[in-house]
Amino acid sequence: MMNTITNLSPEFSRRRFLGVSGVLVLGASLPVRRALAQTPAGTFEPSLFLAMDGQGTVRVTVHRSEMGQGIRTALTQIVADELDADWSRVEVVQAQGDVKYGDQNTDGSRSITQNYDRLRAAGASARLMLRQAAANRWNVKVDDVAAANHEVVHAASSRRLGYGELATEAGLLPVPENAPLKKESEHRYIGKPVIHVDAGDIARGKGTFGADYAVPNMATAVVIRCPWLGGGVKSIANKPMNEPGLVAIETLDAAPSAGPLFAPLGGVGVVAEDTWTAMRIAQGLDIEWTGSPNQTFNSDELRQALRDAVAKPGTPVPGSEKGDVDAVFAAGGTELSATYETPFLSHAPMEPPVAVADVTEERCVLHAPLQDPQSARPLIAAQAGLTPDKVEVTPTLLGGAFGRKSKPDFALEAVELSKRVKRPVRVQWLREDDIRHDYLHASSAQHHRAVIDDEGKPTAWLQRSAFPSITTVFAAQAVQPAPWELEMGFSNLPYSVENQRMESTGIRPGARVGWLRSVCNIFHAFSANVFADEMASAVGRDSIEHRLALIPASGKLKQPGQPAPPGHELDFGRLRHVIERVRKLSDWDKPRPEGVGLGFAVHHSFRSYVATVLEASMDNGRPSVSNAYVVLDCGTYVNPDTCVAQMEGAVVFGLSLSLYGDISMKDGAVVQSNFHDYPMLRIAEAPATKVELVPSQGRLPAGVGEPGVPPVAPALSNALFAATGTRHRTLPIRT
Amino acid sequence: MGVKLNVNGDVVDVDVSGDTPLLWVLRDHLGLTGTKYGCGGGYCGACTVHLDGAATRSCQLPVSTLQGRAIQTIESLDQRHPALVDTWTNNNVAQCGYCQSGQLMSAAALLDGNPKPTDADIDAAMTGNICRCGTYVRIRAAIHQAAGHQATGSAE
Repeated sequence: MMNTITNLSPEFSRRRFLGVSGVLVLGASLPVRRALAQTPAGTFEPSLFLAMDGQGTVRVTVHRSEMGQGIRTALTQIVADELDADWSRVEVVQAQGDVKYGDQNTDGSRSITQNYDRLRAAGASARLMLRQAAANRWNVKVDDVAAANHEVVHAASSRRLGYGELATEAGLLPVPENAPLKKESEHRYIGKPVIHVDAGDIARGKGTFGADYAVPNMATAVVIRCPWLGGGVKSIANKPMNEPGLVAIETLDAAPSAGPLFAPLGGVGVVAEDTWTAMRIAQGLDIEWTGSPNQTFNSDELRQALRDAVAKPGTPVPGSEKGDVDAVFAAGGTELSATYETPFLSHAPMEPPVAVADVTEERCVLHAPLQDPQSARPLIAAQAGLTPDKVEVTPTLLGGAFGRKSKPDFALEAVELSKRVKRPVRVQWLREDDIRHDYLHASSAQHHRAVIDDEGKPTAWLQRSAFPSITTVFAAQAVQPAPWELEMGFSNLPYSVENQRMESTGIRPGARVGWLRSVCNIFHAFSANVFADEMASAVGRDSIEHRLALIPASGKLKQPGQPAPPGHELDFGRLRHVIERVRKLSDWDKPRPEGVGLGFAVHHSFRSYVATVLEASMDNGRPSVSNAYVVLDCGTYVNPDTCVAQMEGAVVFGLSLSLYGDISMKDGAVVQSNFHDYPMLRIAEAPATKVELVPSQGRLPAGVGEPGVPPVAPALSNALFAATGTRHRTLPIRT
Repeated sequence: MGVKLNVNGDVVDVDVSGDTPLLWVLRDHLGLTGTKYGCGGGYCGACTVHLDGAATRSCQLPVSTLQGRAIQTIESLDQRHPALVDTWTNNNVAQCGYCQSGQLMSAAALLDGNPKPTDADIDAAMTGNICRCGTYVRIRAAIHQAAGHQATGSAE
């Protein structure tokens, strides 16, 4: 058994979940190489996600990847709750990448949204089957027996049977459809704070991350990649021979210079008996690279092109135009206009990309921190020269990801090198590799222009956004931003405006662009929230009062283009509610001392609503944030403590990008390389953070991992304006 | 070269080149993978261990300089600081968890020298440890809580 149970009486007062007396702890290691459905005959396995043996040990299979968002715990809570399982008798099994699970892409803050109903059903079906098995044994009606805490009870006769004792008989029953689900009031794990299943292992250094996975006879490789995209190895001047510990030096094919850009970048793989030997030899190599069209790419020129793009008309967003913006602008009035800019960003998860591949002629076994092991599997198979059924892909714990590890390029490097040297190979990216060879968050520019009335309300509002589209990594011809990128805080602006137009422009970059935690919402929320604050301040109005006046009193947003699926629409009432609550939580109306300002921002993304207030000032010429207040409405939530933690983390992640995040490129190469020139927020700069969670109310479970990030940068900019009178329209805000 | 190391109270012999950083000796040669690689430059603190009791970045320590020095890693923390390990667990401090070995080792060294640290003490002692997930507010709270338990001799 891998379960360890600890009796706990932690102080939860800090976390504002008063009234919760107990916290559940479930210890589980990531099982190594354990396949699902290898349970012996006689056990109960009513779904892909749930199995139980004759001892009553429940195994919940988690088919999403853990990267700090608590998904291994939350998905297990859902199944265990409907099963009415004793939490101490539940183990977690990490699923391999396999189409049988349906979508396994841990991305878009949607793991709970997509799996809440099906995992509840899995637990509920199993509970009904166990009740039926007991009823059959006792020859009573199923309605007369109840399940409770790993037992089935017949109250009338005071008989009871443990789940384990019923496993074999339950396993012979058909799986019922539409088994009754619990009422929200009956939930024992869903909606309750639960200690993460890996928390105990992590605090003891025992969590298995990508680089911690090891197999016998494994070699370690460090790969040197061309500084510019699309370049390959021309020559290696000083290839060492007979270096102790060196296994092989392998030349890897160059990536294409334009999309699709999911293949490894190519370069020189130095395979050695240990990591330091590989690093040392790799650093000493003198490699000449071939050219590429991307070698002339400079981020300064891109930034200028983006500014130029939003200074002139772009492509109108279909269906976005209302009234006649140009007529209002021509008629005159109080006009405001501003241009906002954001740079490239790197994901920089604390765990740099890493993968362990063991390729033989018959099989390929891969362990790596992958966000989507399922979509990686056919690519890994192709790289290994095998069919996908010969390939096993198992996610380890992800030491942070933020979107980076949805691309399996680093795993494919390990596969190729293992195939070449005929040994298991771990490919270890160095931090410098990670910063220089990322799929960068796009640099962008936005231009806003409005005519406002005496109350600061826009009578006409023109918005432009320009950025390199993520679709450029999918196709060489792609240029224009995709509708889904614009629906991240641009085309779905929730404000009432009679005359409105939205235009976008795409520019192809000489770099790989990818999605970083909350994606285009970062720059769209920044510009829209700061511009709204500018409208309010132009007429001397309170920013929250002003914002509430812009948002309709009730109803749902009708966004341009495809309507949002039911339950996913932006609900004005919910948006207003988080604003009202953050106003109270932050004591918004209480005056702050001279030089201290409050800044407000609100954003709807990934189906959730987040309102954020930051308290900031300037300290020795640098912005300093003393307090953060966040209200989250994510609909139905599973683990409230995780939701709070994600908001706390989002404040820090958002402040890192607001204060420091800036990747530049020169001659096709990323200039920065490590945390000295791509800094992160450190503990002394982290504000005290208060988070409130809006109760579930039976609503669609919405996203939690990403939606806390977008309001942070604009709230900071607005707070600094309140503190100093200086407007910051470009990120990062350094002074 | 052969080096005799004292790791978590055990004396072990390793045969590596003398410039090998302790980090890679721990991870690749001793199977102590709790100590993490984060940057290789001493910027992030993921590789923090105790060297003669002081929090030290193991990626910056050539193994040839460590003969006779006492090295403690995260794997020994449960014995030495059970309250800290439990507090970290019970407060759900970790998110992804990758930096947390280093955070815990810095926190343990702080408490060893300062049983009742203030917020400012914590900020000073923990400033070398980056957490990309942003668990800083819980780290601060957990250190205070663990300090309280240590002071009263209780470990939850």
